[in-house]
Amino acid sequence: MASLSEEVLLVVKKVRQKKQDGTLYLMAERIAWGPEGKDRFTVSHLYADIRCQKISPDGKAKVQLQLVLHTGENITFHFANESTAVKDRDAAKELLQQLLPKFKKKANKELEEKNRMLQEDPVLFQLYKDLVVSQVISAEEFWANRLGGVNNTDQALYNNNKQEVGISGAFLADIRPQTDGCNGLRYNLTADIIESIFRTYPAVKQKYCENVPHNLTEKEFWTRFFQSHYFHRDRLNTGTQDIFSECAKQDEKGLKSMVIQGVKNPLLNLLALDDNTLDEGYGVCSPQPSTSVANRTVKESSNSAIIKRFNHHSAMVLAAGSRKGETLNDQGSETSSTDGNSRDSDCFHPPVKKAKLQEATEYDDLQGENRPKTVPLNLKKSDRYAHGPVPLQSHQYTTSQDIINSVNYIHHEMSNYKPNLTQVMSSTAASSAIAALSPGGILMQGGAPQAIHQMIPTDIQGELKHLYVAAGELLRHYWSCFPVNTPFLEEKVIKMKSNLERFQMTKLRPFQEKIQRQYLSTNLTGHLEEMLQAAYNKFHAWQTRRMMRKT
Amino acid sequence: MASDTDVSLLVIVVDVNPIWWGQQAHREPEFTLAKCLDAVMVLGNSHLAMTRSNKLAVIASHCQDSYFLYPTKKSADNGGDESSSGDGKYELLSATNNQMAEEIREILSKTEVRGNSTDTLLAASLAKALCYIHRVSKELEVGQEMKSRILVIKAAEDCALQYMNFMNGIFAAQKQNILIDACVLASDSGLLQQACDITGGLYLKLPQKVALAQYLLWVFLADSEQRSQLVLPPTAHVDYRAACFCHRNLIEIGYVCSVCLSIFCTFSPICTTCETAFKIQLRQMVKPKKKKLKQQM
Repeated sequence: MASLSEEVLLVVKKVRQKKQDGTLYLMAERIAWGPEGKDRFTVSHLYADIRCQKISPDGKAKVQLQLVLHTGENITFHFANESTAVKDRDAAKELLQQLLPKFKKKANKELEEKNRMLQEDPVLFQLYKDLVVSQVISAEEFWANRLGGVNNTDQALYNNNKQEVGISGAFLADIRPQTDGCNGLRYNLTADIIESIFRTYPAVKQKYCENVPHNLTEKEFWTRFFQSHYFHRDRLNTGTQDIFSECAKQDEKGLKSMVIQGVKNPLLNLLALDDNTLDEGYGVCSPQPSTSVANRTVKESSNSAIIKRFNHHSAMVLAAGSRKGETLNDQGSETSSTDGNSRDSDCFHPPVKKAKLQEATEYDDLQGENRPKTVPLNLKKSDRYAHGPVPLQSHQYTTSQDIINSVNYIHHEMSNYKPNLTQVMSSTAASSAIAALSPGGILMQGGAPQAIHQMIPTDIQGELKHLYVAAGELLRHYWSCFPVNTPFLEEKVIKMKSNLERFQMTKLRPFQEKIQRQYLSTNLTGHLEEMLQAAYNKFHAWQTRRMMRKT
Repeated sequence: MASDTDVSLLVIVVDVNPIWWGQQAHREPEFTLAKCLDAVMVLGNSHLAMTRSNKLAVIASHCQDSYFLYPTKKSADNGGDESSSGDGKYELLSATNNQMAEEIREILSKTEVRGNSTDTLLAASLAKALCYIHRVSKELEVGQEMKSRILVIKAAEDCALQYMNFMNGIFAAQKQNILIDACVLASDSGLLQQACDITGGLYLKLPQKVALAQYLLWVFLADSEQRSQLVLPPTAHVDYRAACFCHRNLIEIGYVCSVCLSIFCTFSPICTTCETAFKIQLRQMVKPKKKKLKQQM
């Protein structure tokens, strides 16, 4: 049996596991199951090993609970007690729900983070395979620079990468009650909708916290909520037995405060906008304000009530979106944050306001031209530009006699010029020209280096890229050790140098042999060798200097 | 994909410097200016024969001016009366050849003897070619696209005074996506090497001048899209080093004045071209500290 020091939190009889009857025990730190009549536990798992639990849906005949471990294993328990199966299963589930979060190890979170990073970045994954799996450097060194800070505020970091999901304005309308058949309505509430309601109407959330679970169950609370007139269109002020009538009063207060605060945008006069026009195209006329409520018709007042409801709802949704996950505990700050104006007033600090005013009142086209003042360029030796940065070339001087001779000759030759296109060149000249232009001819030398990426097969190119990435990573670690100030860096330098040597042995040499076997004469690894050699030279220099300092 | 109506314009700039060619006649009698012009005509005819929508222009670069050999104003006026030659040649080709021959005869017969300018005006011819290309591109029909390139056949040596204009022309060609190819007969030209490298053309120095036609047809007849399918001589390394303004030596690292952009090999506190004064912080020379050796007993 279990050790006596373990506290047993729950015992469930008649639980089958792998078609065997037995009893399920939930302890302080683990969950265990033993078959009927036996003393030992055949199945026992720490809560820390369990990733999550699953239950079978309500309609199924078999009432089951499944545990998924971190290793991927699944263990299923079948609650076989006819009368109390569902209750037992639910009790076990609730207890597990409370216990599992306590035992989630932080180390597993780290593993998950590492897995996530490796999955998201294929280059990183390849580097990991090249370096750690082949034992060139150890896993800790690999992750040393990359994780940093995962342990501390991982949840916050993770959240910062994700965007906050806003509230849909139509969440209340989306609830869409269905008729139950016999004069009742069925509302489907999901956790999302509940969250939206709480975020938008903090008053409702407060009511919930006050009443559930002391006075009402969750189901009763929501039933009352939907029944109350608070929820329905026409909010007539009902008697005070409705717990939501307070909420209605609070909403009225909130709305009034919003209206009083008004819009803080100095460039916009909201009160001047009006719906009453004289006629089309004739502008706005402000009607006589009727202050007595009795003058309004019933239709007008119900319309205005609905419009007020809508405005209030929209304002609350916007305000909830701008609160950004802060938890509001005091009621005092409720009304102040319910106005979406706060962002607007922030926008109108003096410099921003000035910029906006300028934008609205000035036209760039009509400003005078303000060209920056320039200094004129005065060149003393402008003849230098005539020849430009061209080196002196030996000029062949022609004597005037030469010139005269040449010109006369050309006169003579070209005065009777007739194109003779059938005798342009001899065939020997042509064939020697063709020979010079064919591949291998005197004019075609030096074309080979351009085609190197076509001559090397793609898989070798891929391998070379991986080699470069891995070598780069190792060299980065190595060169970051210099200048060597601390004993930690000294150790690291020595270790990195041995890593580089190991990399050269295990990865670079086989690759070189491979390409030699394929008769590729190009030197693909020359640069890599140079980089490694530079690292070795630096190491030797550092070592000799260290020796000299010690002696 | 080139459609049937896409125009490919080839502008050939031939260096007909009479002084160089006159001397060449004495050096190598089997390759004279006549032969060179024949080879150019062969290339021009081949280009026109490749596709009906191909266009050709030939510019002769002289030391006094640069002239259009084809198309000329006279050809537009006459309408080609004397274009029928007896051998059944395609009329466009024979018209082209006749015009070119007539023009070159006229130009060279009018050459005067002048001593002060013996250099070929290559930069000017390049500029003329660019302007012609620009004009033709404006005269295209709606929806037609034009690809143009310039082939420079160079005989005489580079003239350093044309450097600025030449570079301007090269960059203008690069902006307009016009290739500049170069076929050099005698001495290597650094300017043309740069031009070919910048615009993406081919540079070729002929080992044999006699076979000029063969080289032209092999290397320079195809346009830029077709060149990627052919095996052509590889591009050589271009020496882009600049020469300093003070000594005219090629330098790899130098000092450039930020006001006038003139290049110097050593630092001087005043730029000699624009007389701007500069201050530069030289690194303080750190004397190596002598380490005190501890006496260990």
